[in-house]
Amino acid sequence: MYSRSVNSSLSQAKPSALKRKLIKLGGLGLLLSVVSFGQMQLSQAASLEEVKARGYIAVATEDDFKPFEFVENGTPTGFDTELLGMVKKKISIDIKQDIMPWPGILPGITTGKYEAAVTAVLVTSERKGTFDFTTPVAESTTYFATKKGSSIKSSDDLVGKVVGAQTGSAMLGDLKALDAELKKKHGGSGIKEIVEYQSYPEAYQDVGNGRLDAVANTQINLNSLIQTRPDMFVLGGKVGNPVYIAWALKKGNTGVQQLLNGALLDLRKSGAMYQLQKKWFGATFEAMPQSVN
Amino acid sequence: MNAYDYYSILQGAIFTVSLSIVSLVIGVPLGLGFALIRWAKVPFFKDLVQAYVNVIRSCPTVTLVLLIYYALPEFGVSLNPLPAAVLALTLSTTAFNCEIWRSALVEFPKDQLDAAHALGLNRLMRMRLIVFPQIWRSSLPGIFNEITLQIKSTPAVAVIGIVEITRAALRVGSNTYEPLPPFIFALLIYSSIVFVFLKLQKYFEIQMKEKGYI
Repeated sequence: MYSRSVNSSLSQAKPSALKRKLIKLGGLGLLLSVVSFGQMQLSQAASLEEVKARGYIAVATEDDFKPFEFVENGTPTGFDTELLGMVKKKISIDIKQDIMPWPGILPGITTGKYEAAVTAVLVTSERKGTFDFTTPVAESTTYFATKKGSSIKSSDDLVGKVVGAQTGSAMLGDLKALDAELKKKHGGSGIKEIVEYQSYPEAYQDVGNGRLDAVANTQINLNSLIQTRPDMFVLGGKVGNPVYIAWALKKGNTGVQQLLNGALLDLRKSGAMYQLQKKWFGATFEAMPQSVN
Repeated sequence: MNAYDYYSILQGAIFTVSLSIVSLVIGVPLGLGFALIRWAKVPFFKDLVQAYVNVIRSCPTVTLVLLIYYALPEFGVSLNPLPAAVLALTLSTTAFNCEIWRSALVEFPKDQLDAAHALGLNRLMRMRLIVFPQIWRSSLPGIFNEITLQIKSTPAVAVIGIVEITRAALRVGSNTYEPLPPFIFALLIYSSIVFVFLKLQKYFEIQMKEKGYI
């Protein structure tokens, strides 16, 4: 009995071998077509008229990027969230804010799931190709921080060290540029290793436990870190040149951009945005340009 | 870690447990249905099921979650984070459950069906009285294995903003710069959830023993 069933299953297996290959190819094709179709017709972010008809603007904010945005005892807070609260009062349309980790935010803008990234997006030349930006909300320079008592003082001391930065961030770009510069200056020896992190808290923890020698981030973020844990971290030297931080929108969504800009420029004129900067960053950036696009 | 930190991780556990349970309650029976389609060699649909299983098995859960959340709007379906997470986790577990059930069906001796047929049992009765009790018995360890894997794959949905156990623990660690206490607490919660399911498996096995299936 047993042998018969084995035989019958074997005889069935033979002719279907080719078919199975075809099905596998079919599955792959299905996957590829989903992916390519998705790229071919990336949905447009809702225009101003569509947003008005729908009744709200959808925005995404990062959940863990102090002092710009973070969640405290279950409530989102930070510079951008408070600034958004002020913008809400200025415009007639509702704003729906989703809180999520950084890796999901910029894809959310390019796919049109959200109209704006109300989060600290550093304005870089590569990003200008894909995104439009609101008027800047802060200014930033990339610095590095080390564990208290470290021998690393200036960027030259980073030669042969392990340094961390957030994956896909502008700070990572600055760090790589510095590495190239150091290699030129020191005859081929630069930073030993650049470690990329999903988010900064993990990088800070690794500086704390010695897995990293230094971490590169914006001056504002590092100041805030050092303020919370002065016993653990100290600010090092400069890594890059000053850049601006703004909210990002999908390229070409000028309607929503102008709506947000109107409110943001008002807040700059009245000084409310600078007060908020003073509160969260300990400094104001009144010399920022009107537009960074 | 303050009281709120513990509370926030426990809140994450509610998401972990409910997302796992909802996806499994749909995925386990649906996987059986799909396995039966392949077993019965239903034309066209059996190929469709195989293609589906192959695609899902090759797709990491995080990628699937991102695909559903960000790619579906291209086809006019824009889901909120929670339904998107349920859909992704269900699609994923259904494929694996389908394979678990199918492995039991493939091993099922055909002569038993011939005998049942000879006794005049119809298709439904053959399924309910002869096939199901036996494939349930042999699939049980695999299904409960998949359940524990499913619980541990829920952190994938954090990428679209759902705060489950691991994400909640990460947030606590990022505020205190001490990652160890929240992760130990998270591990304790994961272990107790898995422990409950393993107890359930034990209960089913005892029941089968009493019925004389094992």
